[in-house]
Amino acid sequence: MIIDRTKKPAEKGELNFSLPEIKRFSLKNGLNVIFVEKKNLPITQLLLFVNGGSKSDPVNKKGLAFLTSMLIDEGAGGLDALALDNEIELLGSILRCSANQDGFSVSMLTLSENFDRSLELFSMVVTGPHFNEGDFEREKKKQLTKIIQLQDDPEYIANTAFRKILFDKTPYQPPVIGFHETVENITVEDVRNFYANTFTVQNSTLIVVGNISQSELHKKLDLQLGGWKTGDGYKIDLPAIKKPERATYFVHKEGAAQSELRIGTISPGRKSPDFYARTIMNSILGGQFSSRINLNLREDKGFTYGAHSSFNFNRKAGSFVVSTGVESEHTEESVREIFKEFDGIKQKVLPEELEFSKSYLIKRYPSMFETYSQVAGNLSMLPLYDLPDNYFNTYIEKLRRVTLENVLDAARNTLRNENIVTVIVGDKKILNGQFSNYPEKIIKLDSAVILSPGSI
Amino acid sequence: MKSILNIQYEKFKLKNNLDVVLYQDKTLPIVAVNIWYKVGSANEKPGKTGLAHLFEHMMFQGSQHVPKEMHFRYIQEAGGTLNGSTSIDRTNYYESVPKTALEMVLWLESDRMGFLLPALTQEKLDNQKGVVANERRQNYENQPYGLAWEKLFAALYPADYPYHWPTIGWMEDIQSYTLDDVRNFFETYYSPQNASLVIGGNFELNEAKELVEKYFGEIPNNTVVPELNVEFPELDETKKIIHKDNVQLPRIYLAWISDKLYGPDDAALDILSDVLTGTKNSRIYKSLMFDKQIAQDVSSFQYSAKLNGSFIIMSTPKPGVEIHTIREEIFTQIKSVIEDGITDEELQRSVNSFKSSYIYSLQNLNNLVDQINNYNCYLNEPNSFLYDIERYEKVTKEKVVEVADKYLNKNFVELNVVPK
Repeated sequence: MIIDRTKKPAEKGELNFSLPEIKRFSLKNGLNVIFVEKKNLPITQLLLFVNGGSKSDPVNKKGLAFLTSMLIDEGAGGLDALALDNEIELLGSILRCSANQDGFSVSMLTLSENFDRSLELFSMVVTGPHFNEGDFEREKKKQLTKIIQLQDDPEYIANTAFRKILFDKTPYQPPVIGFHETVENITVEDVRNFYANTFTVQNSTLIVVGNISQSELHKKLDLQLGGWKTGDGYKIDLPAIKKPERATYFVHKEGAAQSELRIGTISPGRKSPDFYARTIMNSILGGQFSSRINLNLREDKGFTYGAHSSFNFNRKAGSFVVSTGVESEHTEESVREIFKEFDGIKQKVLPEELEFSKSYLIKRYPSMFETYSQVAGNLSMLPLYDLPDNYFNTYIEKLRRVTLENVLDAARNTLRNENIVTVIVGDKKILNGQFSNYPEKIIKLDSAVILSPGSI
Repeated sequence: MKSILNIQYEKFKLKNNLDVVLYQDKTLPIVAVNIWYKVGSANEKPGKTGLAHLFEHMMFQGSQHVPKEMHFRYIQEAGGTLNGSTSIDRTNYYESVPKTALEMVLWLESDRMGFLLPALTQEKLDNQKGVVANERRQNYENQPYGLAWEKLFAALYPADYPYHWPTIGWMEDIQSYTLDDVRNFFETYYSPQNASLVIGGNFELNEAKELVEKYFGEIPNNTVVPELNVEFPELDETKKIIHKDNVQLPRIYLAWISDKLYGPDDAALDILSDVLTGTKNSRIYKSLMFDKQIAQDVSSFQYSAKLNGSFIIMSTPKPGVEIHTIREEIFTQIKSVIEDGITDEELQRSVNSFKSSYIYSLQNLNNLVDQINNYNCYLNEPNSFLYDIERYEKVTKEKVVEVADKYLNKNFVELNVVPK
């Protein structure tokens, strides 16, 4: 058979996809539950989202939320850390606890046949962690040692410097893990109080995705979590985030094999009405492999293994950043090319770029609901960003409505020249040659300052 | 519950010997295409290491009917995801797309299987050599402890043994590839009889068969793939190497030569690893992290491959703790497993974790289809999930002790990464 390979085969057939149906109910103590019944496998995923996180850390105890998340499964409900872990492993279940800027998540993945006991253990962790002195000392030492190790990681230094500059004097400024000095200050009483203030019914949302009926689930959850204590709703006042001033910072890393670049600025929060235009703008500029920045720095110049951009949202703030590691000797040229791309997208976006991005974002939507944890993770955006339940149903339509003009506006609003911060982490030997004609003053930072509390 | 692991599939060979497996699952409107080429860094020669991986990059640079950059763009435009990866034994390429785009994916994959060379240029090669050199800098040279693995394997295996060098290749080799190297590599290894194609997900069986025949059927099969003939390696002596790095804390790595993937001792070695370091209650973990609290982390694994495996244990001492203190404790715990055996509960905990992880792995179509291809290439039977789980269920306490004694009581390599 002779076939014509010169033409790309057309897509065939209809793409029908129905979003999972989101159900909400609350337990007898008022705990909000978001539930999706998903039956293709004998699995259930539990995910508790608790508003809190490192934005609530006291100034002199940064790292408290992180330590709380490390400790919460180190003994609970009468089982010590080892006994608890032993039971979870025997069930073949997976428990994970973590903290970020805005909250905690406690998740458990379990086989349906072991759901009852897994839920019981999960509830013990959530409602009755021990916070023993001995466990506290051990996990605190682990956190302090981790902070020492992070000094080695150029990506961590770049991310931390960038965040400290962008979110100066706000609760979003410090890294979630905290600083050596501030973690030293934390006592076991601090952890107990922090837990008591944040882990409350009013402050939490439980997400369940699984092979179980709503009535059965409701009964079981009431039994295990319906007695969880209620408390005051947790409140934190976040100061307004100021736009940063344009500046270029350089951090010396002895013997660095590449330069880590972070270039960007702050942006409005997740609920800003131009979210969809920004999403498409980011996709064209640096949000996926075939984006302008990646094609330029990787596929044209070969300066990097990859360069990408993203919006990172917190509950009440956001940032936009281009991240890449580039060959040391092409550092200055890479910075210049990224700024060229900023200028470019503020001037012109082609209709085919807009169509490509819409097609990419819209058609891949079904694949965002494949695994149980993907579905649970998507659902957790509802309480995290305070989004309406019809968010998922309107997503595609809102992307479709974005116009070229909207994308240009999003680029112009995001990438204001006077607010762009550049952070370079590399070996200082590159500064004299390639940066000798750099049009801006370069502010040199000591990594010790970045990794200590306070402003830069 | 295990019945869901007994997957239904159809398997056939095209006239050019391309192996094809079809696995239908209509849960989501997604189809995944996964190709394994049975070539990895083990097939390279000293002086040209990293060629298999560089070649993987070249497969995304367009082919005769697909312009540069369009391979990615077409799949992304259709709402798909794609990538490839290179290991010591094989190179895989995979994409998952909305079911409406199956034909396009088969067109793209067949074009680069059959028609890559006409589109190959010096410019593309130079560009990707730069990209790969930067990949090496980013993922190895600029990472704390990033060069540990290549130091370890270079010491564990003789210089001409296929697992001696890293998959990414030595930097000076990466700079040395020529267009001829790339052409020869393609002509030797990238042919239908050296590949295995799995299509999984939402599609119609007859239509998929016709499309596979249409796009792959005409690709000629005219090469003989050279066999790798090596003897099971032995380490003549225990070696200790010191590597200085930009790190705050030292780290110890211990490596032994062990059984190959799906070999008779492979599953027991996986369980041994779990018993030693896999959970909070595991022997070494509990001792170093809970009882003595002298380590920041400890982990181990049975890294098994086609020719043989390597059993690795690694640990970072807490500040102020000497490496030799950690090493002594590791060996004390190994000795205790060998002399005193393990408990029913330790075995059960480990087997249960392996079993549930197989069920969890069915959630993601790309992973599932890649595992089917793994079974097809190594075991010649795509439906091997149950066989695989039974490997673990059949392991006894005595077997775990036996493999600990057999492999960990031999010569080994110790690597110490220490602060500069």
